[in-house]
Amino acid sequence: MTFLSLPTLILAAALSIPALLLLYFLKLRRQERIISSTLLWRRAVQDLQVNAPFQRLRRNLLLFLQLIVLCSAAFALGEPVSRFFARRDRTLVLLVDQSASMKSREADGTRLDDVRRQAGTFVRNMADSDRAMIITFAGRASVVCPFTSDRRQLLRQLDAIEATDSPSRIGEALQLAVAYSSKIVDVPGATTPLAAAPTANIELFSDGRLADAEEQVVQRGQLRFYPAGRAADNVGIVAIDVRRNYENPGQLSVFARMENFGPAAVTSDVELKLDGRTLSVKEITLDAAAPEKPAATQAAQPTSTPASQSLAFELTHEAAGLIELRIVRDDALAADNVAYVPIAPPRPLSVLGVSDRDPVRWFLERAVRGVAGTSLTWMTPAEYESAPESKLTDGGRSKFDLVLLDRHDTARLPSGNYVFFGGVPKIEGVSASGETDQENVVYWDETHPLMRYVLLDGVHIAKWRTLNLPRQSTRLVEGETSPIVALLAEPGRQSLLLAFDLLDSNFPIRLPFVVFMQNVLRTLPAGGGDLARMLRPGETLTCPVPREASEATILRPDGRSDRVRVGEQIVLTYGRTHEVGVYRVRFDDPQRFTAQYGVNLLDRVESRVAPAERLSIGSQEVAEVSGLERINQALWPYAVGLCLLVLVVEWWIYNRRVMI
Amino acid sequence: MPPTPTRPPSSTPAAREPADDVLLDPQFMHRLEQLEIVSRKIFAGKTKGERRSTRKGESVEFADYRNYVVGDDLRFLDWNIYARLDQLFLRLFLEEEDLNVTVLIDVSRSMDYGRPSKAVYAKRIAAAVAYIGLVNYDRVNLYAFNDRLLAPLTGLRGRRMMQRVVKYLTDLPVEGAGDFSSAARQFAIRHTQKGIVLIVSDFFDKRGFEEGLRYVLGRRVDAYVLQILAPQEVDPDLTGDLKLVDCEDSEVAEVTISRPLLNRYKANLEAYCKFVRGFCVQRGMNYLFATTQVPFDQLIVNYLRRRGLLR
Repeated sequence: MTFLSLPTLILAAALSIPALLLLYFLKLRRQERIISSTLLWRRAVQDLQVNAPFQRLRRNLLLFLQLIVLCSAAFALGEPVSRFFARRDRTLVLLVDQSASMKSREADGTRLDDVRRQAGTFVRNMADSDRAMIITFAGRASVVCPFTSDRRQLLRQLDAIEATDSPSRIGEALQLAVAYSSKIVDVPGATTPLAAAPTANIELFSDGRLADAEEQVVQRGQLRFYPAGRAADNVGIVAIDVRRNYENPGQLSVFARMENFGPAAVTSDVELKLDGRTLSVKEITLDAAAPEKPAATQAAQPTSTPASQSLAFELTHEAAGLIELRIVRDDALAADNVAYVPIAPPRPLSVLGVSDRDPVRWFLERAVRGVAGTSLTWMTPAEYESAPESKLTDGGRSKFDLVLLDRHDTARLPSGNYVFFGGVPKIEGVSASGETDQENVVYWDETHPLMRYVLLDGVHIAKWRTLNLPRQSTRLVEGETSPIVALLAEPGRQSLLLAFDLLDSNFPIRLPFVVFMQNVLRTLPAGGGDLARMLRPGETLTCPVPREASEATILRPDGRSDRVRVGEQIVLTYGRTHEVGVYRVRFDDPQRFTAQYGVNLLDRVESRVAPAERLSIGSQEVAEVSGLERINQALWPYAVGLCLLVLVVEWWIYNRRVMI
Repeated sequence: MPPTPTRPPSSTPAAREPADDVLLDPQFMHRLEQLEIVSRKIFAGKTKGERRSTRKGESVEFADYRNYVVGDDLRFLDWNIYARLDQLFLRLFLEEEDLNVTVLIDVSRSMDYGRPSKAVYAKRIAAAVAYIGLVNYDRVNLYAFNDRLLAPLTGLRGRRMMQRVVKYLTDLPVEGAGDFSSAARQFAIRHTQKGIVLIVSDFFDKRGFEEGLRYVLGRRVDAYVLQILAPQEVDPDLTGDLKLVDCEDSEVAEVTISRPLLNRYKANLEAYCKFVRGFCVQRGMNYLFATTQVPFDQLIVNYLRRRGLLR
């Protein structure tokens, strides 16, 4: 048995017990009464010789009981525990996973409950001198409790942690943990005790399904892993896409991929709904997931091939709507059983081309006309610069869904979407310095919607302008030293920069150019792409603000709503998208939803709910700690019980004595 | 519980009790004149009196015959027997003499306790018994003691002596620690006459009372032991944490009054009284117990009469 608060015990006992004894000594001053003879009293009272105080104390039952009460209370204050494991750690960082897999149903509650239990036990076992902080992580990490020794505060904060539907990304949490603990350690040139403080220990409470685990390195301190959860049965939607037919925009194709992560084969129905109406139900049969290979990097990216199946649905729908795909099955994780895709109605796109070169006009016109219902207007750069405001803008926004600028650097960029071919926008942070030539295309981001199905294998670019871009720009195609294609997203304005002149490459005459332009026309114009309205949990929702709107209301999937002042903003940004479901945005008019956004998990790492058997951070395997070994049996309730019992007995004895 | 004397329901202490400075009121003395002290034994007296004596004398009551020896008074020869048996027998007659009545009262400081005080109560009893004795021409002796025998008043006879009795008792100081053994020893040495001895005390003597009673018994007297306690001693009205001080030797007992302690005290008192009674009864002494709560006249007229001391 060990005391967690030994100083408290000693202090309480040192103060109270002498005080009680002193009270008893003081009590010896009695009222004097003269009687005829003490002969019989002497016989009646055995302790006549009360001048010897210890003899008196020894025989006083009430004092004895009161001493027991005080000792019990002091004992309880000392927080005695049995089976205590003494640790030398002083600075602890608790990383608590709150990703989607934490919502998995376990035998007794959710997986997060299990995590909370383990972390709670850990906190209760901390010594008084230990300091701990709590960092939760899912897609992002946040400090929910700064360093404190107050165990009650830590427990309170633990209880307040809720699971999100976001994927697990531990990187930011590890950086936070190291940063916070480094504040204590890295005092430059200091010889203070703080500098000598031990390195923080990082206690990870998770199921070990961390998407970025192998990319991380624990620079400082020791990481310990407390695995949670047992459930493994799960089937989830891992990918979904909805496309309109290029030639017939009324035709919709829904592609989805389902995967079984459980240990048993599964047969289930998959239901497709449009605006709540069931359109189609298909049955899928998925084999059991292949067992994980005991590779060191297993937890980060599962390399096994679980049984998976793709489904395609065809439907005709020309208006806006909400497509819902649902696996009709009750499994451990519900968040990945459904996916929502809001679809926008096919509407004619209005495109402005700014070029004074006929070949470019010819290539672009052919590429743009390929998309049904698209109107293209041409201007020369001079006309563009001199055009009256009313010709280009409408209420501060561009009148055109997309503006294509050929070799034209301009600062005339009202809110809208722009594609620069060989030009740069004249905005802060963006510039072109010189030219890059004799380099090859070394990388392009195939996963980005703009680059989907765009293969640049056979594309040669003779030279391109060396772009200097702000850090938040997205580089889609890169050369050896400078970016070739980049997307610059600002509030209310998206600029796609192609650093090269179309005529300096063979890009316009290659098939990828057509595909690329299709992607640009479908994705870049505001509301023009369905995938733009599909987010991953935790991603920022952006929505163009209609004119004269003052307030936006975002109706969340859980039924609550958030109000956001949009004032003079052109684009609404909203970050609380941690929950899977449909987010509806409306402006001012409460009855009219102007936009719907689907937040879907679509994460194989999270869908694989079976807890990782081992966890590796970087190349190091993390020591697993069994929660059971650390359980301390708190003994203070027994001490308090004894205290109350003895108090009752003492009260009874006292009353029995004085009642005459 | 100690033996409780019977108490007539009509009696109220306030109505019957004389004032503290008056030992006996005249009305009660008049009632006492009808009583006489009874001895269970027959003793030889000193002078002619109204009591039958062990001596043979000149009364009219025949007692016995004995053989004539030379020098006997020829007037007491029974000539009828001489005529029939031709032998000389002398007729003996009972002698009537006085009775020695001795009252031994405790005037140690422990007797000055209770309301009414045990000492006053004891003095009244002594006065009453002495008066009864004087009225009946008995020889009355009064002794008082604390840790020693005080100056006695002895050899009183006739009701005129009552004034001396009252003065003696009134002037008796109530002081000093009690030592009954020592006092009884001195009493035994000084008091050689046989008769009735009434000992009035609370018998709260830490040195013990047994030796003293043995001294008294050694004189072969008809002894009556009257133990007097105050009601405050029988049922103490004490509460709380107290320092009890013995009024005689200032010994201190620190007690926390509680129900178990009181019960234990009462049990001890009862056992003590039983012990005194047993000691007396086994040795042929008459044991009487009274608390000062019992009205004094009732004690004399009813209680002592019932116990056979008075008639």
